[in-house]
Amino acid sequence: MSALAHQRLLIVTGKGGVGKTTISAALALGSARRGLRTLVCEVNTKERITTLLGRPEVGAEIGSLDENLWSVDVRPQEALREYALMILKYESIYNAVFGNRLVGYFLRFIPSIQEIVMLGKILFHLREKRPDGQWRFDRIVIDAPATGHAITFLSVPQVVLDTVPPGPLATDATWMRDLLVDPKTTGSVLVSLPEELPVNETLELHAALSAKVKLTTAAVVLNGFIPERFTAADRAGLPPELAEVARVHELRAQLSTEAERRLRTLPAPLARVPRVYQPQFGRAAIETVAATLAPLLDRSAP
Amino acid sequence: MNPIAKALAEKDVLVCVGSGGVGKTTVAATLALRAAVEGKGSLVCTIDPAKRLANALGLEALGNAETAIPAAAFEGAGLKPKSTMRAMMLDMKRTWDELIERRAPPDKRDKILSNRFYQAMSSALAGSQEYIAMEKLWELRTQRDYPLIVLDTPPTAHALDFLDAPNRILDFLDNDAAKWLLTPALAAGKVGLKLFSFGSSYVAKTISRFTGTETLQELASFMLAISGLNEGFRERAHQTRALLAAKTTAFVLVTGPMPDRMDEAVYFHTLLRQNHLEVAALVVNRVHQPVPDAQWSAAARLPDPLRHKMEQTLEESEHLAAADARGIERLKELCPGTPLITVPRFERDVHDLKALWETSQFLFG
Repeated sequence: MSALAHQRLLIVTGKGGVGKTTISAALALGSARRGLRTLVCEVNTKERITTLLGRPEVGAEIGSLDENLWSVDVRPQEALREYALMILKYESIYNAVFGNRLVGYFLRFIPSIQEIVMLGKILFHLREKRPDGQWRFDRIVIDAPATGHAITFLSVPQVVLDTVPPGPLATDATWMRDLLVDPKTTGSVLVSLPEELPVNETLELHAALSAKVKLTTAAVVLNGFIPERFTAADRAGLPPELAEVARVHELRAQLSTEAERRLRTLPAPLARVPRVYQPQFGRAAIETVAATLAPLLDRSAP
Repeated sequence: MNPIAKALAEKDVLVCVGSGGVGKTTVAATLALRAAVEGKGSLVCTIDPAKRLANALGLEALGNAETAIPAAAFEGAGLKPKSTMRAMMLDMKRTWDELIERRAPPDKRDKILSNRFYQAMSSALAGSQEYIAMEKLWELRTQRDYPLIVLDTPPTAHALDFLDAPNRILDFLDNDAAKWLLTPALAAGKVGLKLFSFGSSYVAKTISRFTGTETLQELASFMLAISGLNEGFRERAHQTRALLAAKTTAFVLVTGPMPDRMDEAVYFHTLLRQNHLEVAALVVNRVHQPVPDAQWSAAARLPDPLRHKMEQTLEESEHLAAADARGIERLKELCPGTPLITVPRFERDVHDLKALWETSQFLFG
């Protein structure tokens, strides 16, 4: 299906607790392995991807994790400073202007300034080139916030365009929005779990992102998938205390099947990631997940 | 006495806090249900547009108005409540609009409602939902006489947002720097001199390189329109803070057994303590249970390959239970002095009042 072979920007989102960070780390690792210079971004949160991959934290500065793999925790203060310096060029001017309390006040007042500078930083790196004309990063994976916050975060260029009259901020918001809505450049990866509520939310999220943000859903990942194991004959041969165990397992397997059926109504390919049972959820688990996502990332489908 | 039962008896406001996806709304609804059944009239105010919760409560949908749970829903679950339970869902934009309609002078009302900064503030501004939830709580506490209000809070990406929301909105509306800037304008009843002289200053020129000058003008006109309300906002924000810290208010911190959710719970717990807010209990929801020995020995007696299938299943359950138990031990260590309640994972969703009632058996011991 190679649904995620070409987009340069992958935005991973879904309901809280569905495993967005795991899937982001696995997609980034898989992309880097395929030779794409990949940057994975966490957005103003407690940094987790570096730890998952068994590397020291990188903080708000882009740091190298592996061959072709970089990571950064995008934070509003630092992003604002970088953005301002990009326009103002001189640190002394930045300090004079941004140290001013009136300015501090106005910056808080501009709707969603934090979101726009964070998204702006990520999209700036997407457009950045090396001296030889190649992209600095072939691919960027965003471990985006959960549903409601993701919609707010990704709508921010449009909100700015609706709120702020023409000016430099509006100009930046325009190119940012254009990058987000271009299906050749950007695709969202919606992560779900085999339970009723997360699936409902995934379907709603797809609708909201398509309608409000005009973002294309490139793939759906059904995380924590539980396959069937016990046949009817198996279950008939079990003593009562184990029949219940088998019944519960099959119930979960049914939920997985039902979730898959509902998620397949979305116009994007679906990847199943089996539930991982490992004592410590770390690098080994991410490698396992990355392997199951290979069909989404491979350039030519097997 | 079970800490949740104690809080339910002694408090008149319970605030359910925690990250998204941990069953916070279900816990909030369960608390209100238990109170009503035991004779303490209750209102649960949820944030999530969870249609399923509405259906479980025997309602078509939850709206911004407080609605009584119909008797039929209780009868269906075999329950006879001694008092009334009501439920509502907070509609952020409508609550903001109602607030402005109620508080703003008639000549300013439309000006505020149509201003782009107001629209951004009431629908998109970070912290706005948290603030309006606090406003609603204050209104419900002071204008109504529910013996118990259970407030479900927005799933915060950052724990601080929620506690800090009243301050942030106040800062937004009532800031010394803004006052200095707008004072002559406010006195003259229009956007006045200082903004224009500010407009020619070095700092303003630099800001306008980012925003364009019109933004400053539009902002000033919003400030001007809303300035008369600031005193009221400030007053209520203070009272809301006092209400949260009152002896009759307690927080119920809900979390799931996943490591990331637990990290957030610890952080949230620390913040609540730092702010001198009472945490009645930490609820760890959906905890995997260890495998009883009897199941292991029964599995050992099975013929292959059924034995292998069963042992694999039990092993997976043990893995999950062990991981949860480790997390809970760590949580206990990091939140000393706060009672911890675990609710086992159910193999079905909470679909009706009966299931909600069964959940309460675990919460209340």
